Amino acid sequence: MPRRRRRLASRIRNYVRNLLAFLFSNIGLIVLVVGYTVAGAFMFQAIEGASEIERVNNMTLERNNTAQYLWQNVTLALNLFNETALKYRLNIELSKYQSKIVTAVRNGWDGGRSSRQWSFSSAFLYSLTVITSIGYGHLSPRTSWGKVMTIFYALLGMPLFLLYVTNVGQLLARWFKCLYALVCLCRGCPGFGRRRVVRLRTQLETSEAESIECPEGWRHRVSESDVTPDYRIPPYAIYHQRRLDIRRLPHPLDPRYPHDRGWSEPAYRVESEASDFSYVTFDAQTITVPISVCVAVMVGYIMFGSMIFGLWEKWDQLDGAYFCFISLSSIGFGDFVPGERVYTPRIETSFIVCSLYLMLGIALGAMCFNLMQEQVIHYFAGLKRALKRICRCKR
Amino acid sequence: MERQHSSLHGSFRSKDSSSTTGSDPREKIKDCLRKFIAFMFTQVGVGALVVCYAILGAASFMHIEKDSPDEQLENVKQWRRSCAEELWNITVNNNIFNETAWEININKVLKVYQSNITGAVHTGYNGRSAEDIWSFPAALMYSLSVFTMIGYGNIVPKTVWGKIVTIAYACFGIPIYILYFCNMGKVLAQTFKWLYITAHECSRREDTMFEEGEIQQIKRKITVPSTACLWVISFYILTGTIMFGAWEKWNYLDSTYFCVISLCKIGFGDFVPGANITDSAGGSHLKLVINFIYVLLGMGLVAMCYNLMCEDVRVKVRELREDLKNCLDDITLKITVCMNDTKYYHQKQTRHIK
Repeated sequence: MPRRRRRLASRIRNYVRNLLAFLFSNIGLIVLVVGYTVAGAFMFQAIEGASEIERVNNMTLERNNTAQYLWQNVTLALNLFNETALKYRLNIELSKYQSKIVTAVRNGWDGGRSSRQWSFSSAFLYSLTVITSIGYGHLSPRTSWGKVMTIFYALLGMPLFLLYVTNVGQLLARWFKCLYALVCLCRGCPGFGRRRVVRLRTQLETSEAESIECPEGWRHRVSESDVTPDYRIPPYAIYHQRRLDIRRLPHPLDPRYPHDRGWSEPAYRVESEASDFSYVTFDAQTITVPISVCVAVMVGYIMFGSMIFGLWEKWDQLDGAYFCFISLSSIGFGDFVPGERVYTPRIETSFIVCSLYLMLGIALGAMCFNLMQEQVIHYFAGLKRALKRICRCKR
Repeated sequence: MERQHSSLHGSFRSKDSSSTTGSDPREKIKDCLRKFIAFMFTQVGVGALVVCYAILGAASFMHIEKDSPDEQLENVKQWRRSCAEELWNITVNNNIFNETAWEININKVLKVYQSNITGAVHTGYNGRSAEDIWSFPAALMYSLSVFTMIGYGNIVPKTVWGKIVTIAYACFGIPIYILYFCNMGKVLAQTFKWLYITAHECSRREDTMFEEGEIQQIKRKITVPSTACLWVISFYILTGTIMFGAWEKWNYLDSTYFCVISLCKIGFGDFVPGANITDSAGGSHLKLVINFIYVLLGMGLVAMCYNLMCEDVRVKVRELREDLKNCLDDITLKITVCMNDTKYYHQKQTRHIK
């Protein structure tokens, strides 16, 4: 009985922990971010929507005033048959009116279009630009409450979004590694793993030829690699864990080349047990994706975006790519914003598409950043090791 | 590659035996080079690098964008002329003494004109020629807003080359800026921590004189509480608020809003310091430069607070976890005691003894 109670307690604790883990896991975070954005959209719509209608009314009043003024002061006062003088006067009045319009638009007036500026989808895009710190500025709060709420919304939302970016970036990086391992290492270029092995082996031979105390150096390197978290080493660690598995394999592994063995193993296993997916994924986490692939992914995503927005908004290719880059690097000038130039009924969906594009794109950027970081760290570790060996050889 | 190898190799050798090899001139040159590189990666060097990069970008953007022909200005003039023409036509054709009919017609014309102008404003017209917009301080602010990822968007490139150069500039500038951000954050965090700890010790010295042994050790592990960081940041924002409020004649809410939006790198661009000033180009340069420094320093401060708060939160989370563990242990013990389980009771006994 008490044992069962204890189990119950531990089960409850487990549930709570699982719930927390789920909330801070990928799906929970995505739901959290989307929910936060939707809540922000409703809030800003409620705050700013009211003042928007007022502003439209103000502008109508302004136009009527100008017409009235023209009638009274220009048409009635001046000599009607003097065309040049009248036109000159009209020009002056119109330029005054124009500057009024410019300031009104700068203050957030929409130009009397039928679509409301703070519709739900545009408010959604607005709150997304706040928490991603893009800040297009095509919409900005005009009321003082809107400003205060924006400040607090940003202070709370930005850490949340940062959490989302790091988490989803890691997840995507893991998936991308699996994909890369499956596509490039098995089928696309079958000699990939072997090539590296060959390179390493030549390195080994040269070092062996040069160095005097080779075995000691080797032993030193292995012990060091066990201590430092190197990204290339895990296959070797797996070897320790799964020695029983390997013993079954017909290939007797030479104990004199520990590093080499750690290398050739994943490729070998992939070839022999390609059906066993878990092995492939496990090994996939130990490879690093070259920087060029990451850059290619990002460029491809930007090109894709420029194509989509080019079709949707009738921008040319350069403008589309410029928009995508400025958005994804979170600069966000706001000179190109979807739904600014072409006023169509599709504007609502275009905002939503843009939001989705941004959320996915920023996560992809984080993924590429992760992968590149790994690769760079690996390069540096390799360089350091090589340097150490060179130093030791000269001594 | 080879050169890098050799220099690094040299560094290894001289690090091991720096006292023996001092006379060799080549070694000296290498030492100087190494010191220079090391200096370039310190805070001063990175700060100088950022400023130089910004100035370079400002010059190049000014050069590219200044000569761009502005069709929009011509367009707007054309629209105004044609609008006046139409108004004249209406006045000539209609019965002049029918006021309401005249006003309705005028309203129609004005509406067309208005929508034209709003379209132009949305695509970047603001009544100034490219020559006026791309003054040097404005270009400096522009390049700052590119590589810090603020992106105010009050000034944007119009030419094709301007856009391409902006993309390339951001590609190289953002890593430099991140380097600056990390470096500045670390250095400022260290100095702030040192200041905090010395202040702490000074204020507490009299109380803890007689029991030094324990308390001194505890004090060494003090992390700066996040409230202190928040105070620093809010003080900085307050300074900015007062400064910009006095210069730009914004009210305090607006200038606070501007400071927060800038330091959070959101940068809507509805309030920008340069926008008003460039009309009277006299004293604008100094103010824009000060604004530039304000934003850069603010970024460093934010990085500092980020560093310190990370540390603080990590410590707090560890403490919380330990507390939680103790609490859970207590609860489980209590439950087991309630259930009168002798085995667990004994365990508790032994734990008490321990």
